[in-house]
Amino acid sequence: MRDFDAADIRVYALSYDEADALRDFRAAHGITYTLLSDPDSDVIRSFGILNTLIDPNDHPWYGIPYPGAIVVSAEGAVTHKFFDNNLAVRAGPEQLLRAALARPHGRGPSLPIGGSFAGAKLLRRTRLGQPMPEPRADRAAPQEVRVSVALDGNHLAPMVQRDLVVRFSVPEGRHVYAEPAPQGSVALEVTLDGSDRLVQRPIVRPASQPHTLEATGESFRVHHDVFELRLPLAVNGASPSDAAEITISGEVRWQCCDDEVCDVPTSQRFELALPVSEPPAHALRNSRGATVEPNAMAHFQRMSERRRGSG
Amino acid sequence: MQPELETRGTRTDKGWRDHDGFVGRRQPGTGPRSDPRGDFPTGPDVGDAMPDVRCVTADATPFDLHAHRAGRPAVFIFYRSAVW
Repeated sequence: MRDFDAADIRVYALSYDEADALRDFRAAHGITYTLLSDPDSDVIRSFGILNTLIDPNDHPWYGIPYPGAIVVSAEGAVTHKFFDNNLAVRAGPEQLLRAALARPHGRGPSLPIGGSFAGAKLLRRTRLGQPMPEPRADRAAPQEVRVSVALDGNHLAPMVQRDLVVRFSVPEGRHVYAEPAPQGSVALEVTLDGSDRLVQRPIVRPASQPHTLEATGESFRVHHDVFELRLPLAVNGASPSDAAEITISGEVRWQCCDDEVCDVPTSQRFELALPVSEPPAHALRNSRGATVEPNAMAHFQRMSERRRGSG
Repeated sequence: MQPELETRGTRTDKGWRDHDGFVGRRQPGTGPRSDPRGDFPTGPDVGDAMPDVRCVTADATPFDLHAHRAGRPAVFIFYRSAVW
């Protein structure tokens, strides 16, 4: 929240809970953003996002929304939305902060990410709550593409998405191919090795630019300069007893050219070891089964009774 | 838009595992795990004006989103419950 406050971005979270339940939840977790109460789901309905897959008599579940986050500009326009088919998957704080800081149209400001490393083969480790290590000095020759891979954030958590950021820096006058690459050439691609603990969503790619070769008139799409691909990731928490660390590995492929000469296609492997934290707090119980908000069960019972009564 | 119910899941000794590997006590496709499959409504489109939000805060005081944010950018989160 400090980063949101520092950027003067307001954060609101709305649910169908009663205000007194929200007060207890706020106190139990030291929440400083604004919690909003919509016990009859009026706001949820007005946005058209009531979960209508739940039967109106299925208490107390009826009344919940399809959960998600909406980013609003200073002018009051919707600039980004984060909704996922899996109701367990939530936008992470770094994703929301980047979106809120970005300009509504076009590229956002270049922001430091949690850490980075060049060379992309070295295993880096961080501990929970500690910043990622400082980037290593990059030893790439001036005419080479520089690639760094890092997590935006310093750990992964069940349910909470964070982006693996692949950042390219392409020398002036050169480009890398975007899809669709000319025949016989290789377009930029990032692939992660499969892991049954990782939940991966579609890659967020930067916009590519059209490029035409003066000599031949051939046209294709390219990326220039500095740009990022973002791979949204969460761990699924399938087994809470799993190791508190996960290793993410994969490969980046690209081909860099200028208007006369093309390098051979390049592929580079990367590997990061990242800490995995506990799932986000629940009021009724945490992942170890302990109640963390003392009145939660009473609130749950009252919520169910009220809804039965009104249903 | 009435989405389809996502029901893919398998029973394990730790609970029901959904198709993404999340494990919970309830079977996917029931109660709080009523996930949509395919398209589902997500509110106003990107580029639209954020609608008015009028409700109450945790302190039971009246709330008006656009008045409260007072020209600042905002992140507005809809979630299921703080109670369960």
